Amino acid sequence: MSWRHLLAVARKETYHILRDRSTFILVLLTPTLLLLLMAYALTVDIEHVPFAVLDHDRSSISRSFVQGIAAGKDLDLYGYVDSLEEIEALLVRGEIKAALVMAPDFSRRLLSLEGMPLQIIIDGTEPESGAFAVDHVGWRAEQFLRDQLSAQLQAMGIPLDTLQPVDLRVRAWFNPGLEPRVDLIPGLISMVLGFPALSVALALAHEREHGTLEQLMATPIGRAELLLGKMAPYILVGMANVIFMPVLARAWFDVPFHGNFALFFLLSIFFLFAVLSMGVIIGVFMRTQAAALALSLLLIFFPGFFLTGIFFPIAAMPEVMRLETLGLPGTHYAIITRGMFLTGVGLEILWPYAVMLIILGMAFTGVAALFFRKRLA
Amino acid sequence: MRSALRRIASLAIKEFIHLRRDWWLPAFMLLGGAIELVLVGWATSRPMTNLPLMVLDGDRSAASRAFVVDLGNTGTFRAPEWVDDQAEIEAALLRGEINAAVILPRGFAEQVRSASGRPVVAVLLNGAESLPATAARRAIEGVARSWGDRIAVERVGLDSQQLESFFPSLRVWFNESLSEALYTTPAELGLMLEFTVLIFAALSISRERELGTLEQLLVMPFSSLEIIIGKAIPAMLIGFTDFLLMLGMVNMVFGVPLRGSLALLLILALGYVLVELSKGLAISVFARSQHQAFLLVMMVGMADFMFTGYAVPVETMPLILQKAANLVPAHHWLAILRGILLKASGIDVLWPHAAALVGLGLVIGGASLRYVRRALN
Repeated sequence: MSWRHLLAVARKETYHILRDRSTFILVLLTPTLLLLLMAYALTVDIEHVPFAVLDHDRSSISRSFVQGIAAGKDLDLYGYVDSLEEIEALLVRGEIKAALVMAPDFSRRLLSLEGMPLQIIIDGTEPESGAFAVDHVGWRAEQFLRDQLSAQLQAMGIPLDTLQPVDLRVRAWFNPGLEPRVDLIPGLISMVLGFPALSVALALAHEREHGTLEQLMATPIGRAELLLGKMAPYILVGMANVIFMPVLARAWFDVPFHGNFALFFLLSIFFLFAVLSMGVIIGVFMRTQAAALALSLLLIFFPGFFLTGIFFPIAAMPEVMRLETLGLPGTHYAIITRGMFLTGVGLEILWPYAVMLIILGMAFTGVAALFFRKRLA
Repeated sequence: MRSALRRIASLAIKEFIHLRRDWWLPAFMLLGGAIELVLVGWATSRPMTNLPLMVLDGDRSAASRAFVVDLGNTGTFRAPEWVDDQAEIEAALLRGEINAAVILPRGFAEQVRSASGRPVVAVLLNGAESLPATAARRAIEGVARSWGDRIAVERVGLDSQQLESFFPSLRVWFNESLSEALYTTPAELGLMLEFTVLIFAALSISRERELGTLEQLLVMPFSSLEIIIGKAIPAMLIGFTDFLLMLGMVNMVFGVPLRGSLALLLILALGYVLVELSKGLAISVFARSQHQAFLLVMMVGMADFMFTGYAVPVETMPLILQKAANLVPAHHWLAILRGILLKASGIDVLWPHAAALVGLGLVIGGASLRYVRRALN
């Protein structure tokens, strides 16, 4: 392998990219812009969940209970209704996401410490807002119980804690409010940084579609040199994004960065190498850009989105899928980005993932170079 | 008119010949999308189970063991790893090996037994993965609450038969078992359908332009409208077939029911495919190369994805985003898809979304038709 050859190919590819100014700007900005879009899409705080109330009790206690629930901006009272059918109609139309049903003996049983006959109905087709409503109604109900019953309990000589004797002390490390924004954004970086790989697949297929690949092969440039030279400018594009994205995450979304940036930069290059080699394999196999694109969507984009453990923990996936996720560079890199941003750990913990990225990169490049010869022969 | 139809047919046939020569593309678009949907759905459409949990039992009593057994019975966690030292928990959190740890301090059983004791349950969550951490928190809170209720009953000496929980009971409508598949897979289907149609349409004209065959097409006796329709027919067929395949998959593999009218769903799906198609054609004319067309599709598609309610329901977004969502066809389409599949909604409920889809279709379709025609002339 000769550096001169490799540089020559890289320079040619860079000219290609730079010549077409608008495509260059798109290629350069796509990862960061997508991060911005997706971060907004996926981390908007849930609030103002509309709920209706069916109050069979109609007492002052039940009314003040509803007032307590609707206080604050997370749950909005849509209104009182008279029947379950009305609730159903509102849920079907999507005008409410949850409903509270209070039994006729709500206040009586509450005051006689027999429990709280309250039912929450949620829309199972949107469980996120439903679970949110359940959590918040539960917390508010506990607060309400304390306020309502404290005097009564004291009169009976029962300590206030009796109603909820378990002292649950929950602490979340690295992200005390358990805000999805904080951990999804580093995770998404691993997904959007895969985009240069789609571009490299297209660039290779482009040469083949336009018949310029044969010309290149007639020169004394070797296979590996050609492939690595094709990758080089896209690795640079990726590296630029590795600098943009933490800045964006920190300045715009207030996501901390606790790790060592130099190490993050280095590991990101490993990731770019691995994921770009995936793109190269696709580019080597496909004859047209359209086909290369379809395959990269299926192999890089959708799996990078759904299967790398950003949204859904890999531990909870079926066994076979867990093995498959190990072959995706994004799986390892998502652990690295979260570690770097949130836990601030270093190579002492992240080394296995770095090693995996290197192994995947070499394996993919090897496969690409091997098939490159066969497909050209 | 008849000759126009014949010309359109010959153009459509030309497109199909292209597809047959490059059969990878339609194969990926059709089968790939459906297979991918099964993979992704299979991996992600499950409740968060099997999460790794660590337990530090400082009490080693029957009560503390029973508490841990109850945690196991929630189904959220895998068999817990027992440790003796808090340092082990901290190390595991840093390595990201566990989602949650529960610490039961010495004296847990004694506090449970004593008349006014408060048994402490300390929980450490790994906030670097906020979604599983939230699931873990909910599960642990549930166990703590039921323990609290039970202890309270014993202490206050109430008749446990008579006593209800002080926590509201929950009822879920439209998705009674809260099956994740029922709400994740329709959204995933929507996303894949949109990308399939957009990309297919976006590549159609940009590809001819890049390869220089657009000029040839333009000098032939075809009007620009005929070219557009000829291009649109294969894209529409592919998109609609893809939708049918994915709908079948979602129904058979994941048991997503079809509670409403199939005919209504198919009509509205056809309308939606047409809207996305006209967007794709506009991108196709705007882009100067296939590469550009692809990057633009990614931007547009991800921006739309924000409003499909995959992660955050639109109704709970800030008001300005809610207004913006009304202009996004994918938002109305997902509301229709979920409504017909899960809520058995008919046109009486869905008409605002259907009307919006038609209106947006006329505006977007009309604008892009004018734009594409002008660009072609």
